Amino acid sequence: MQAAGWDEDETFCVQMAVDEACSNVIEHAYGADAQGEIQVSCCIRDQGDLVVSVRDTGRPFDPTAVPEPPIGADLENLSEGGLGLYFMRKLMDEVTFHFDEREGNMLTMVKRRPK
Amino acid sequence: MRVVEEPLAGGVICVEVEGRLDAATVPVLEKALQHLLADAQYHLIVDMNAVSYVSSSGLRALLAARRQARSWGGDVYLCQLSARVREILEMVGFLSVFGVYATREEARGAFPQSASIV
Repeated sequence: MQAAGWDEDETFCVQMAVDEACSNVIEHAYGADAQGEIQVSCCIRDQGDLVVSVRDTGRPFDPTAVPEPPIGADLENLSEGGLGLYFMRKLMDEVTFHFDEREGNMLTMVKRRPK
Repeated sequence: MRVVEEPLAGGVICVEVEGRLDAATVPVLEKALQHLLADAQYHLIVDMNAVSYVSSSGLRALLAARRQARSWGGDVYLCQLSARVREILEMVGFLSVFGVYATREEARGAFPQSASIV
């Protein structure tokens, strides 16, 4: 990533977001005791944005079912659920989920090209 | 990851954490904090000088312990944040949620005097 123009901090954000995404899959999609595969891939789009995809075939993930902590407001009193998703959204520019019966869960995270 | 507990003056316990604080290692810290809380130790300082990384799992454990300690009139303060941990907490907006202090002594002094009477 650094060779492609991202600085160390931005690279670290992406690494952290991938860590959060995989931890979520292990904990929620497969359950801590189950076994399953996680496919992580990344590419740079034409516009220069970095796209990271994380795919699993565990339980369908519905992001709308996760209470999202309010960004910048009342963090003091938030419940501890949904923190992983909150981290991903803070660290990346776009975070989207898609579920397909055959393909499983597909998480796509985008880090825009450095200005 | 390594967790070392050290009693400080005034009934405050310092929990020194070393290593990565992520989903794989957090049970060690969770266990230490829950054990202290179950033992009615509600004035806790987590020394993060040697913590190289903190994920949402690590933050969740700290928030849960803090919530419990506060419900008993105590608190969980953080001290000596490594540059990386400070950066992470700042990025996700949690730096201002915790009481964060430069040194253990400063953190200990931030507990009300009545807290030190056990």
